[in-house]
This record gives sequence, C-alpha cells and structure tokens, in this order.
Amino acid sequence: MISVIIFSGIIIALSGGCASTETITAKSGAQLWGENCMRCHNSPSPADYSDAQWETIGMHMKLRANITTDEEKKIVEFLQSAN
Amino acid sequence: MKTLLIGATIFSVMLSEVEASLAQDTTQTSSNQNAISEKSGKTKAIVTGGAFIDFSANQKRDVKTNFDRTGFSPIFLWKLSDRLFFESEVEIEIEGGEVGVDVEYAKFSYVLNKYMAIGAGRMLTPFGAYVERLHPAFAERFPNAPLMMHHMDGMHAIGPNGAEMGVDVRGGFQLGNSKMNYALYVSNGPKLNNGSEDKMMAGSLEYENFYDNNSNKAVGGRIGFLPFSNSSLEIGLSGNSGIAGNAKDSLYKNIRATAYAIDLSYVKAIKPIKSIIKITGQLNSVTVDKANYKDPMDSTGMMTYTFNNVSQVYYLQVAFRPALLQKSFLKDIELLGRYNSLTYPKEALWGGGTTTRIDIGLCYWLSWRAGLRFAYETQKNPDGTTSETFLVRFATGF
Repeated sequence: MISVIIFSGIIIALSGGCASTETITAKSGAQLWGENCMRCHNSPSPADYSDAQWETIGMHMKLRANITTDEEKKIVEFLQSAN
Repeated sequence: MKTLLIGATIFSVMLSEVEASLAQDTTQTSSNQNAISEKSGKTKAIVTGGAFIDFSANQKRDVKTNFDRTGFSPIFLWKLSDRLFFESEVEIEIEGGEVGVDVEYAKFSYVLNKYMAIGAGRMLTPFGAYVERLHPAFAERFPNAPLMMHHMDGMHAIGPNGAEMGVDVRGGFQLGNSKMNYALYVSNGPKLNNGSEDKMMAGSLEYENFYDNNSNKAVGGRIGFLPFSNSSLEIGLSGNSGIAGNAKDSLYKNIRATAYAIDLSYVKAIKPIKSIIKITGQLNSVTVDKANYKDPMDSTGMMTYTFNNVSQVYYLQVAFRPALLQKSFLKDIELLGRYNSLTYPKEALWGGGTTTRIDIGLCYWLSWRAGLRFAYETQKNPDGTTSETFLVRFATGF
C-alpha cells in the first residue's frame, strides 16, 4: 500500500500537477468545464443538452460533486452559450 | 420523350415543394424551440442515466462463457426552483434470469446559501468518492467495480458503500488557489448480523437499511481537498460511526462499528504526450466492537467464538488515454490497470484472509458517454486458489 502511494506521488509530480495558480474568478467557464468534468467522467459536449437541461445538470453536479457555486454558474453559462 | 419531360418536370416541382416544406418545418421547429426555451418556466427536469450489458468467460466455471447481466438505470433530475432539487435513480437489472428493481437513491436538496445545501432521503453515502461519483456504469472504465467499493448483497460491507436513509449538509468553497468540499450526514447506520438468521455471517455488517434496528443514528462525513488551482488532484478523508446492534438484543445492543476511508483522484492532461492520465484510489477500513457469537458447529448452542473484527479494502486504478491526438483512432482508446486488495478477519466464518485482484484492460470510447470495455482479471483467494476471468461490458450514459 505504501509503494502504491509513493508511485502515485511520483506520477503526480512528474506530470507537473502544481503548474497553474489561477483562482476560479480568473478562469473562463470553458476552462472550468475542462478541468472539473473530466475528474469523474468524460466531458460532455455542450451540444448534447439544451439550456434548460444544462441548468438542471449543473445543479445536480453542484450537489453531487460539490463544485462551488461560482464554478457551477460559469460552467452552465458556458455550456448554454456553446450549445 | 415528351412523357419523360413531363415526368421530370412534375418530379422537380414535387422535389422543390418538399424542400420548401422541410425548410418551413426546420424554421418552425427552430421557432418552436426558441419559444419553448423562452417559456420553459422555473421547473426544469431531465431524465438521464445509463445502461449496460455484461459478458464474461472463465475456464474454471461449469458454464465457461455467459452473457451475465444487463441493466438500465434511469436518473430523474428535477430543478424545482433555484434552491429546491430532487434526484432519484432506479436500478433495473436482469441477472441469473431474475429481474431486480431497486431505488438507488431518492433525495431532496435545498440550497441554503453559496456554501451549504441540506438534503434528505435515500442518498448515496458520502463515504469515500467511489460510491457517489465513480460507480455509474458509464463512468467506471472497467467492466466491473473495484472489490467491495460498491455494495454487494450477502457480503460484509467495509463502511457504507451504497445508499442510506438520512440527512446531510454539503458544499464547496474556494481557499485561495485551492478548494475544499464537505459533506456531513446523519443516517440509519449499520446493522450487525448476529448470526440468528445466518450463522455463517455472524459479525458482518449491512449498511443499506431502510429501517434502523436501534435508536442510535450513525454520523459521518467526508472532507475533500483540492490543493491545485486546476482541480487536478483531490484527496478525501471520510469517517462514519454508529451502533450496529439490535436495540432489543441484550448481547449486541451496544456493539459499535467505526469506519474510515481515504480517497484519491488525479486527472491531468499531459500535453507533450497528447494524453490524459487518470489515477483513482480508495482505502476503506471498518472496526466492529468485539462480541461473542454462537459456534455453528456446536449442537448444544452453548459454545461461542470471537475475533478481532477489522476489515480493510483498497484499490488503485490508472487510466491512460491519448485523447489529445487529432486524427487517430488511438484517441478513443483508454488503457487501464487496477489493483485490489480485500482483507477480512481470518477467524470470521465469512472472512478467511486476503483476496487480491489485478485487472488489465482497455476501454474503446464510441462517444463521450458510450464505451466498450474489456478486462482480463486474475484473482487470488485467501485459500490460495486463483481464478482468471475475461470480462466485457458495453455501457452508455444518456
């Protein structure tokens, strides 16, 4: 188990995990969409759902994945503008 | 020739009429859609979910190849207002010729403010990250879940690995360039099998209890920390504690189960090699207070046995996908590797020691939500026996 943790740490360090230092307020909705969605599943295309559906999905993700309110708002606005 | 010309003229007139009609329909459809979106109202709903079908091959089984299971899980999401939300998932599965229907979760949530929402109902327990976020068939890259990370009937649960009845508060917030999220809850909690129904399962736990067996409620929570501003890494710590014994059972009414979990998720696009790497892992551990159980081999019913009731399970999964390649079928292939280790108490009749499992596989993505999964799995059991299984699953979200 310890070797597993060390292996994970090496992978994270080599891939430059701590590169960016932007806050949420400085990021675009597209950037937040790319960073957050793929943490659990592949990022859906904006065209896959309507504005109303994105609003519902966004709230579901806020409550399930605990993304911040600001992230939810920016991501949903981006998806609604790009669908 | 004259007939041919008349026929061609009539056909071209008909074709132009059809094209005009389709254009009108398209315009009207677009207009209708705009009208609908403008007048969609405050209530918004969507049916999503997923479906899958499984196949397996194992040379040691009597039936060496089999289409094992198929399942369909609609997820109903209702945004009733900017604050009130309802979500529910129904699992419908066919396995072994039997149809099983289960309400995986049914939960109301009310957003109190930017940082806190309160929820109640049957909810996926925020213990670790796998159950809440990674268990859906369209999200899990492998054809199956890691050992004991998702509830399995008849198996000793190592912490809450499914859904429970309860209430929770949760939220997320920024800490400088980092983020944190939390979920705290009260639930019906675990139920101890004392051996009265199944002597072989004495000392094991069940967590998915619609009815509590005592007045004590379990409390628990998870805190997640994302140290990097690109949200690539999340580390979670979870705890859960509750009385598991039946309130009417004088021998076991004070038996407590205490569990903890550590979870890890790292997802990063590595542009020099045009690939995305994903590392996920979780460790669950549960300790049940020591108790004496009736020895099933003793015909007098007087002899008892006891054991250190500590169980642990962990997995580590690595996925590698050259998703940033522009024009190559390779961008849709995700290579997978997973290591599982499950340790039950050796003295428990349902225990026996450590099971390890290694999975190697790949997922071919037909779209962002539909993928064909292949895996070769080798398992070593506590008694030293081994098994090798080839698994295939097609799963899609919708």
